[in-house]
Amino acid sequence: MRSFIKKDLLIFLRDWKELLTVLLLPIVLVVVLNFAFAGLFDSDDEVTMDLQLAVVNQDNESEVLGQLKERLVRDAAFEEQEAKMVAEAAEEIKPVQLLLDYLESDDVKEWVTVHHLEEKAAAEKVNEGDLDSMLIIPQGYTADSLYANITGEPPTSSLIYKIEEETTTSSALQQFIQGFIEQLNYQFAIQEVTDGTGIEAALPKGGLEDIGTAYDFNMTQYFTIALGALFALFVVATVAMKTGVEIRDHIFNRILLANSHPIRFLIGKMAAAVCLIVLQILFVLLVSHFLMGVFPDRSFVFWVGILLMVVLLAFVLSGLAAIYTAVLLRMTSVDAANGIFMLATLLFGTLGGGFFPIYMLPDWLQQIGTWTPNGLFLAILTEWIQFEDPSTIVQTSLYMIGFFFLFTFIGLALFPKRGKAQ
Amino acid sequence: MLETINLSKSFKGKKVVQDLNLYLADGESVGLLGPNGAGKSTTISMISTLIKPTSGRITMNGVNAIDKPGEIRSVSGVVPQELALYQELSAYENLKFFGSIYKLRGKELAKAIQQALEFVGLDDRKKDLVRTYSGGMKRRLNIAAALLHRPQILILDEPTVGIDPQSRNHILEAVRTLNQQDGTTILYTSHYMEEVEQLCDRLYIMDHGKVIAAGTKEELLRILSTEDKIKVEVNKLDEAFVEQVKTIEGVHKIEVTELQLKIIAAKGSSLISKLVHLTEKHHIQLLNFQTETPSLEDVFLHLTGRTLRD
Ligand SMILES: Nc1ncnc2c1ncn2[C@@H]1O[C@H](COP(=O)(O)OP(=O)(O)O)[C@@H](O)[C@H]1O
Ligand SMILES: [Mg+2]
Repeated sequence: MRSFIKKDLLIFLRDWKELLTVLLLPIVLVVVLNFAFAGLFDSDDEVTMDLQLAVVNQDNESEVLGQLKERLVRDAAFEEQEAKMVAEAAEEIKPVQLLLDYLESDDVKEWVTVHHLEEKAAAEKVNEGDLDSMLIIPQGYTADSLYANITGEPPTSSLIYKIEEETTTSSALQQFIQGFIEQLNYQFAIQEVTDGTGIEAALPKGGLEDIGTAYDFNMTQYFTIALGALFALFVVATVAMKTGVEIRDHIFNRILLANSHPIRFLIGKMAAAVCLIVLQILFVLLVSHFLMGVFPDRSFVFWVGILLMVVLLAFVLSGLAAIYTAVLLRMTSVDAANGIFMLATLLFGTLGGGFFPIYMLPDWLQQIGTWTPNGLFLAILTEWIQFEDPSTIVQTSLYMIGFFFLFTFIGLALFPKRGKAQ
Repeated sequence: MLETINLSKSFKGKKVVQDLNLYLADGESVGLLGPNGAGKSTTISMISTLIKPTSGRITMNGVNAIDKPGEIRSVSGVVPQELALYQELSAYENLKFFGSIYKLRGKELAKAIQQALEFVGLDDRKKDLVRTYSGGMKRRLNIAAALLHRPQILILDEPTVGIDPQSRNHILEAVRTLNQQDGTTILYTSHYMEEVEQLCDRLYIMDHGKVIAAGTKEELLRILSTEDKIKVEVNKLDEAFVEQVKTIEGVHKIEVTELQLKIIAAKGSSLISKLVHLTEKHHIQLLNFQTETPSLEDVFLHLTGRTLRD
């Protein structure tokens, strides 16, 4: 089996024209498209510099003292008297007011307009696009965050920040809010030093939960992964074409005559396809990243996730390679088969968003697009890049695994019994 | 050891091979001679178990090889008419792959590759990509790839088409060595009569999917042994002389070109003495006199009315 994989890899790597095509062309395209689209979005940014933010304050300030005192006694084993003192001191901080002041401050006012609304109204307006995003201050937030800061425990409630559409401005605001929370802690620290009441200040952990976007997802990233996946499809088509050459040149007959089980030929093809696709996509992603900083400041886990997803795609596409190989062995005309594979590649590529962003297509086409291996890969990576949360991609990853088994099964079913149909 | 019985193959109703009976004994060198399109490659493909016959049987040591292709595959090496090689790999890499599919490993594989390379004279170019090889070198590598597992039967399908005389001699010499020194059984297909004549103990002549003659070279030539072919050159010719030659007993045919006569006559018709006698009578001087030995080419011509290479 090793020799089958080795010769397929060697043959592919010797074809420098093909190598340049699948390795460098996507990177060149990413760079070019990046510049082309960067221009578009720069001008956009200036127009939408005014962010319309809905603030929904569900917290009741008059209840804070009572809530905080009660919780300190109940959960943190404070003496009644002590709790009262601490709570009174802490209440002075008024974090919600600080946040609102912060949003109204001159720096922020320039580009954020605050609308105080009820949750329902705010959600409607955000949905309709009248407002860009909304910030919900949940009930009991003040008491909870103060309690958390006094005891050093993680807070149980958090600010909820929702955005409808990702823009540079809205995610910048998110950074500001994060900054604000850090500032709040700073306030606590000051308190501690001057007051000497023994309140321990701690940085809030997970003080901001957001439902919109955790990380930027931009066009450069889109192009990088979309083109990486598109050219992976070309790798599969090329592997198939080289199989066509093996058949036309009667090399496959040699393999049959050696009494070598032809399934080994098929599995060798699949394994070689996996290796080639993993190498190719990683090359495209990494080189694009180092050239243009596509994924700045991402964690080790993020990259591990990317690697796993790439391997998953490679397996799915190796299943496709199995189908191509089986079809080639059944068809009399190698050229006709190659034509079909090219068409399939272009079809998958287009539907899966390889040639232009998929969300420019009508909805029903987008739906179909996510049922192509590369479209699914794109959907998974889009999620992963934004949220880096395995739970959001479990289902789609299972679809990918399903694709792999489906394709492999079809490939095996089509594979002629004696190796070659007569 | 290998035998075909009434082997036939049709492609879409067109009979390409018909009722072919052929056998190969251990250590023999057998030729399959025929013009292009005679059905030689189709026959080879059936014998080597690549395609199934439409009807007829193939047996290997008495075992039905159509149901059990392994019987033939495990002991035979096939040199296909096409160059079945990876153009983008070196000779060495090609042989390494083809050896490994015969389950050769490690030292054994390395040794087999080295021997095969030396045998076909490609050792010094083994690291070069096949793409850069000449036609003759590719043909030789095509043969080497079939020798790695030391087959008892070597089946070659037109291994010398379109190559330089040097490579051709090398190949013929190599095949002869395999047959005579290693005792390898050879089935050699060609449309070059000289090659088959040189190499083979026994041969089959095929045309239009059928074997039209079979036997040793001598046996086949004996087909023509009932005739003599004589070429005569004279200083002058007259009608009366030609007419009288025609009346000589046993003469079948005369062709006259200027001062030359080609006479085909039955063997033992004491043609020569009668001819000499006639020339004296007509005061004609005999300038040149030649009897021609018939070749297998003539046998083919005799049997089909066509030449091998038309
Ligand atoms: N796969 C095939 N399908 C249809 N016709 C074929 C096929 N293979 C060979 N033939 C026909 O069979 C005849 C004999 O071919 P072949 O065996 O290659 O002859 P040879 O090797 O003696 O030149 C030719 O007329 C050829 O066109
Ligand atoms: Mg042929």
